[in-house]
Amino acid sequence: MIGCQTFRRHSRRDFLRIGGASLCGVSLLDMLRAQSQAAGAPAAKAKSMIVCWMAGGPPHTDMFDMKPDSPTDYRGEFKPIKSKLSGLDVCELMPKLAERADKFTIIRSITTMNQPGDHSRAPMYWLTGNPRLPSGTAEYPMYGSAAAKFRPGPAELPTFAVLGKIDHHIGNSIAGSFLGPAFNPFIFDPLEKKDDIAKMLAPQLELPAFTKNAELLKALDKRLRRQDGVDPLIAGLDAYQQTAFDMLRSPKLRAALDLSEESDETVARYKDHHLSKYRYPSGDPLHFLLARRLVEAGVPIVHFSLGYWDWHGENFVAGRQQIPMFDAGLSSLLDDLDERGLLDTTIVLALGEMGRKPKCGTEKNAGRDHWDYAQFVLAAGGGFKRGCIVGATDKLGEQVTDNFYKIESFGRTLYHLLGIDPDTTVYTPSNRPIRLIAEDAPLVKEALI
Amino acid sequence: MRHIHFLLLAAIITAGGTAARGQSPAESPRFSRHVVAVFSRLGCNSGSCHGAVQGKNGFRLSLFGARPEDDYDQIVRQASGRRVNLLDVEQSLLLLKATGRLPHGGGRRMEAGSLEYRVLRNWLAAGAVADDVGASQLVSLEVTPREQAARAVEKYELRLAAKFADGSTEDVTALASFASLDAGVATVDAVGRAQAQGVGDTALVARFRADPAVSLVVVAREGGGQLALPDPPSAIDGHILAKLRRLNLPPAELADDATFLRRARLDVTGQLPTAEEVREFLADTSPDKRERKIDQLLAEPGHAALWTLKFCDLLKATDFGVYADGLDEQHEAPRFQAWIRARLAENTPYDEFAARILTATSREGRSLEEWSAEVVALAEGYATPRKDLDLYSRRQTLDAYWQRKDAVGVPGTLQVAHAFLGLRLECAQCHRHPHDVWQQDDLLSFANFFMGVRAVGFQGENDKRYPDESQLAKGFEQEGKKLAEEVKQLKEGRGKELAEKAKQAQPEINRLKNEIQKGGEAAALSEMQQQLDSLQTTIAENDQLQREIREKDQRSKLLTDAIPKRIVHSQIMHQAGDEKSPRFAKVTSPLGTQTSQTFRLPGEREPVALGEGEDPRAKVVEWLRRPDNPFFAKAIVNRVWAHYFGRGIVNPPDDLSPHNPATHPALLDDLWREFVAGGFDLRRLHRAILCSRTYQQCSLPAAASAADRANYACFYPRRLPAEVLLDVLNQATGTRENLDMRYDHWPDGMSTVEIPYKPRNGFVTFMLEQFGRPPRNSAVQCDCARQGDASLLQVLSLANHPRVRQKVADPSGRVASLIRETEDPQQRIEQLYLSVLSRLPDQLECSACCEHLATTATPEEGLQAVLWSLLNTREFILQH
Repeated sequence: MIGCQTFRRHSRRDFLRIGGASLCGVSLLDMLRAQSQAAGAPAAKAKSMIVCWMAGGPPHTDMFDMKPDSPTDYRGEFKPIKSKLSGLDVCELMPKLAERADKFTIIRSITTMNQPGDHSRAPMYWLTGNPRLPSGTAEYPMYGSAAAKFRPGPAELPTFAVLGKIDHHIGNSIAGSFLGPAFNPFIFDPLEKKDDIAKMLAPQLELPAFTKNAELLKALDKRLRRQDGVDPLIAGLDAYQQTAFDMLRSPKLRAALDLSEESDETVARYKDHHLSKYRYPSGDPLHFLLARRLVEAGVPIVHFSLGYWDWHGENFVAGRQQIPMFDAGLSSLLDDLDERGLLDTTIVLALGEMGRKPKCGTEKNAGRDHWDYAQFVLAAGGGFKRGCIVGATDKLGEQVTDNFYKIESFGRTLYHLLGIDPDTTVYTPSNRPIRLIAEDAPLVKEALI
Repeated sequence: MRHIHFLLLAAIITAGGTAARGQSPAESPRFSRHVVAVFSRLGCNSGSCHGAVQGKNGFRLSLFGARPEDDYDQIVRQASGRRVNLLDVEQSLLLLKATGRLPHGGGRRMEAGSLEYRVLRNWLAAGAVADDVGASQLVSLEVTPREQAARAVEKYELRLAAKFADGSTEDVTALASFASLDAGVATVDAVGRAQAQGVGDTALVARFRADPAVSLVVVAREGGGQLALPDPPSAIDGHILAKLRRLNLPPAELADDATFLRRARLDVTGQLPTAEEVREFLADTSPDKRERKIDQLLAEPGHAALWTLKFCDLLKATDFGVYADGLDEQHEAPRFQAWIRARLAENTPYDEFAARILTATSREGRSLEEWSAEVVALAEGYATPRKDLDLYSRRQTLDAYWQRKDAVGVPGTLQVAHAFLGLRLECAQCHRHPHDVWQQDDLLSFANFFMGVRAVGFQGENDKRYPDESQLAKGFEQEGKKLAEEVKQLKEGRGKELAEKAKQAQPEINRLKNEIQKGGEAAALSEMQQQLDSLQTTIAENDQLQREIREKDQRSKLLTDAIPKRIVHSQIMHQAGDEKSPRFAKVTSPLGTQTSQTFRLPGEREPVALGEGEDPRAKVVEWLRRPDNPFFAKAIVNRVWAHYFGRGIVNPPDDLSPHNPATHPALLDDLWREFVAGGFDLRRLHRAILCSRTYQQCSLPAAASAADRANYACFYPRRLPAEVLLDVLNQATGTRENLDMRYDHWPDGMSTVEIPYKPRNGFVTFMLEQFGRPPRNSAVQCDCARQGDASLLQVLSLANHPRVRQKVADPSGRVASLIRETEDPQQRIEQLYLSVLSRLPDQLECSACCEHLATTATPEEGLQAVLWSLLNTREFILQH
């Protein structure tokens, strides 16, 4: 039988036994499966995806959904400026993105509608396309984990790279899934000097010594040979060791992480407006640059958190600090990808888990509270239209008035572009078959080329 | 001979009488009997298609056809009746979609003119009438042959006969679906044609509507002459060898002594043998040295520690933290662990072990005051060293089990079923279990036994519901407040005064000491000495007082917060149901709400009668301890087996479903019956398995048995579990990890196997995650939560993690001590092999290492290279 199968017993466990995957999210089985499915899978518009996660929820009415005509206790301190796309006015703090508005789509009509909302529950809804809660629901995979399983990248590279570390304050935006640890995000931060995981990607010894030791290992690792190719666990270990050593010997990933290969001018462009001190954690705009380099090297999914946007207090102080930094980093990324011809095959997303409350008062240190009913998603490349607005909110920026889509639609659209069938059946640990995006929902077709 | 089953089937059908063979159900199809079966056969009503809770594309079928009435309604009435067209049946949406003549998300499911098509079409043509669902309830489902001995590539056919409630019998082969549990042994196609593929045995599952039936198949190896089998040294080996004889598979040789020692030490205690231990064991010539070693290992603390880890995984011993209940991982998880470890160390009979967990109460029959004294002592014991652990471990029962998240009600029942019965009932929360016999009512009736256990956590009305506890707690709070007041006064009064004095005294003391040192007149010196003594007394008095203040302060905090909270919100007890805690289990899912009002044990027909106010958990325990309980002993025996062999006799080991046949049913029966007869003695069970030839086999199979995966023709290699791997890594490199948990009062020198929860040490947590330590989360009931697979990141971290590198080069580690011990390179290599791989190197290995040593600048560098290489061999990472 093809298509929707009846219950498939033990599939997940058999799979694990045969040998899950890897740093790179590739198992032997996956390779075979991917090859055999290649013919039937939907054609991928996007080879890669970069997700700039704006944890906490950036203020939509201060960035891409300005409401200059709303009352003073709503509209805040920032003025809109014209962008290159007629009909789209953006915040005055984003002149660079305004210049590049013909490169991306702004979606104003996808929200969680508070189901589920808040910082602990909404992020994984956005990042998995399913209403995944911190506990009590199935641990649906993040898009990158699904990519690691269903369309892994080159063997010597991670498929799902997450730059940074699990920050327990905003940690909900990185998580493993029921697909198993082999498909977990590979979390590391090359910008962090003490990051052991990043260090692990380069040999701890000088290359000649490493090679010599690897040869000694080969000479000594002769036992249990007769099981080669028969015992899947041993065959898997052998294959992984081969890949790991190839990776350590290959300069590809290391080179991708080495920012010294970029000119000072380029680094400066990405770091433009990056301050030494912020009101809220800022993230590092060099992650935009690293993301570009990783995608250039062939990494399919790169995800990072760009600081914290939960500005309950001093919204406008924080905005003056973080928005220009974001403007510079994202603009540089879009320019570089486009210049290299990579934008058409790379989805670039910038979003957070919610919007911020349009009504903010007029006090000096006014903040904006949570708002789950309207927000923005910036989506560029990989099949998203260049210069497009989808959906609209009311005149206060409080409610979606046009073209409302659920998060499921957003998730399905991403999978569609990545060439992964969102109806692919996956199995939970209790062996329950569910679809990658459980609910039916239409694609956000207005946003697509 | 292989035709016998057809005759049998014919006989059954004739006896049933209503549907003669050859007459197809397509001619006069009935909805609930045939049409629904077609949906199941084609997969239309599976969970990933229209059987999904929310249906698919607006069309929703009951999962696996569990409720034909609803399906009938969906098809005939919903969607404005568009799905059927009685005037022109061929134009019915149902047929157009399923045949792909209209676009269909599920693709083309059937061909026009096929049997499935004719069933649907003829049913529509006859007016799409509903039928009597009751009459088509299944009484039995028989697959023939039940068991087949086949030769490779031989083909045969499965037939499936259904007996219905109205007494009729029907050949439903054409309406069934088929699947093989191991396609490497035998395959089966969509119409039930089976084909033997490779040596081994497996089950073919035939499914009619929601119900499965299992047909076994055994494929023996061809030729090879008479199989030379050793005499079975134990009863276990008798079963294993008999099966191997049936399959014509030669068993592997016995493993050599060094391999045996490493294997047994790792499996029993989670450690590597030391180099000295290996040498000693190799030198021992007595015939019973393996048995003696096994007895020695089973008596070591490492054995209890390793099984404490396993039971804590299974019982989710870290899952604490209900809203404002005052229970957390830091306090409770180590207590839970200490209790389990104490029971295992004293080898408590397993039935008693389970009983003391399952019927736990906080008070254990003591008065409220007696229990509250324990609560106070436990709270005060949370300090370095953790005195509360010993105290808690001496409790009769493990109330912490019931204080975890989701420990009671239906979620708690799922955990009990998984941990103690080896059953997975999660599916039965919402619908009939798709590949098992369990119905929602089975789960709910079992859950009723656990509905009376009080759920922990803050409830506004707890003060009123538990007036005695509340009263007592208020007493503690008052005492605490009084103490706080006393502390305040002490701090501000005498405390401040003394502190001030002490502060002033210090420079004076220094001055006097100096003076006295200089020497001088005896009288003056003596006077200065007196002054000094007096000042030092002041300092001591102050220290004493400040300590007293701290202790009182600490105590007052406990008395005003943790202790009253625990007494009011966290006492585990059995209580009669009321509005706040209903007496009967209920589940609500998108498929509806269901409840059960009877107390019925899984697999039992009759409900249990309960006395007024009786704790029903006692009845559960009574049932568990019955010698004929079909799950309890079997589940633990099977899990212990799986620990030593990497797979259960029923595999996966937590799926004791009648539809998941054992590879060696008679062995499993023998083992668990003997376990029960021998008083549920775990250590004896371990010993029997460890002493078997089957366990002591070599991991290299005989050439003819190379493909065997389930019949123990050799010892199957498996990856070391996360915690053991870290301990072994430390042991091999002669290093330790500082777990960085002093703040939580962990003792120094704790092994990774012994850690109660995730430590702060980043390297350790990273490795634990990569190597698959289970999250111990109540949401997942699966032995597979502990992952045993290999990954690139595992291999990479062993080869190149900076911390592993440091360990290899540690200035007080393995290489450094080797260099101190001997100068002879060959001896150094030998010692390294013994310490890391627990065996001596062979000639080739020795010379490869020596050659390498000769090329390096320093012996350290060379030995580190050898050590690094050995850590990265398959021999190291695998149990083999």
